[in-house]
Amino acid sequence: MIEITNLSFGYNKKKLLYKNFTLSLKAGSIYGLLGKNGAGKSTLLKNLIGLLFPTNGGILVNGFSPKRRLPSFLETIYFIPEEVYVPSLTIDRYINLFAPFYPKFNKENMIRHLEELDVKTADKLNTLSFGQQKKFIIAFGLACNTKVLLLDEPTNGLDIPSKKRFRKLIAAEMNDDRMIFISTHQIRDLDNLIDRVVIVDEGELLLNASVATIAEKLLFTTVDEMPTGVKILYAEESLLGISVVTENKNITESKVNLEHLFNAVTENPEMISQIFNN
Amino acid sequence: MQLFGLTALSLSIVFITYVLGKMLAGFEDGQNISFMLGLVGGGCFLASFVFSYFTSNAMGSSYITLPASAFEKWLCGILITSVFYLVLFLLFYRFIDTLFVGIYHRNLDANGPFYRQLYDQVQIFPYDGFIANKAILLFINFSGAMLVGSLYFNKVNFIKVALLICGFLLGSWVLNLFIARAMIQHVNNAMPYWFVFINVNKDEGRIELPEDIMEVVTIFIQFIIPATLWMLAWLRLKEKEF
Repeated sequence: MIEITNLSFGYNKKKLLYKNFTLSLKAGSIYGLLGKNGAGKSTLLKNLIGLLFPTNGGILVNGFSPKRRLPSFLETIYFIPEEVYVPSLTIDRYINLFAPFYPKFNKENMIRHLEELDVKTADKLNTLSFGQQKKFIIAFGLACNTKVLLLDEPTNGLDIPSKKRFRKLIAAEMNDDRMIFISTHQIRDLDNLIDRVVIVDEGELLLNASVATIAEKLLFTTVDEMPTGVKILYAEESLLGISVVTENKNITESKVNLEHLFNAVTENPEMISQIFNN
Repeated sequence: MQLFGLTALSLSIVFITYVLGKMLAGFEDGQNISFMLGLVGGGCFLASFVFSYFTSNAMGSSYITLPASAFEKWLCGILITSVFYLVLFLLFYRFIDTLFVGIYHRNLDANGPFYRQLYDQVQIFPYDGFIANKAILLFINFSGAMLVGSLYFNKVNFIKVALLICGFLLGSWVLNLFIARAMIQHVNNAMPYWFVFINVNKDEGRIELPEDIMEVVTIFIQFIIPATLWMLAWLRLKEKEF
């Protein structure tokens, strides 16, 4: 569904953000794109939608090159940026104006999404709060039923109940023909939602694995004393003891902690690479 | 909605300028000033807003990712600025002009001694006259420049392009004058692509371009430059990264 081959990109030609970056994303998964601030998460998404053009390398999304921005490509993909824009229109006028651009748009779903996200207004959309505007765009993006949905920091600006509703809605709208790619640095917001994790740092792909594989390869546990004889990838003291991420040699079942995983991967990229490549 | 608002604002300013100009400088000057301001000023201002989506990340992303081709988006911009506004402005201007000229004619004393003279003094502004021709020429060129400029400059594009146009006009005038003075003696003024004024004793003579060359220059200014600017806007929109 998305094939990135040897991508090079930089805002400054002398200093590339991505160099020979390769990544393959398949349909039927919700991917979480994790990275530090400035790691290039938004830049990657912008390359996928065609807002930015690669310096070198190729990108194919649904068989299209995003750079050409063909309408037949743009109607198969929807991008929700971190800051959303809504014109001075009512909900009905917005739907009447923009829905025809998306052949698979479903108005009943849209109305249901708005109810679930608690967006109700007869006023113009630009009079809503930022969080409400964002929820409206999320509802619209999901109702477009595009094959690929790209979300950049979707939970920024949402209140706590809305974050929960957002997770529920995304999970409900997922199907085998669709791919959802969510970029965030608010890792906890993606808990129990994503089924694959992509971690990038300094333009390099550090991890692209399913949550099941991560749980199989790594052990997330809390101990009283630091374990010996195993590779410790990350440790953090907490009230309950020491939370550690280690190699899962005995295939013990544990729940993946995305925050600890992210720290383990960014602090020990080489060890992670060894563990996952074996 | 923003474009409708700007069009309405522009036409309101034309109306006010027409009325004030008529009162302060007389009918003919009022007509000329308001026509020039409305078509060139209003048209350029509107053109600078047509592609003004790039002032914010959210608006720019929303506009570029809308499933329509760059050609369709470009065509909308061209139609709004160069067809929709032009037609609307000409209709509106003819309406207010006919209204005010009609009121003036009706208020004249038909039995007065200078009735015919006063009647003929004020006529409806001719759209095929010198001022209208020059205004349309400036409008298509400057609005084209504004369209291109709004795709190159994300912020305050109207001011930046206006400064560039002023700089270009000033620079070409100075260069033209410099060249003319180097080649001809007693040059008083030299307008690019148009004429050279020279002092002949106490009089001022005017040298114009030969007719066939003037025709080529006119075609260049009327068609080639605007077409190039429009084409440039389309290419820039296709290649615009955001």
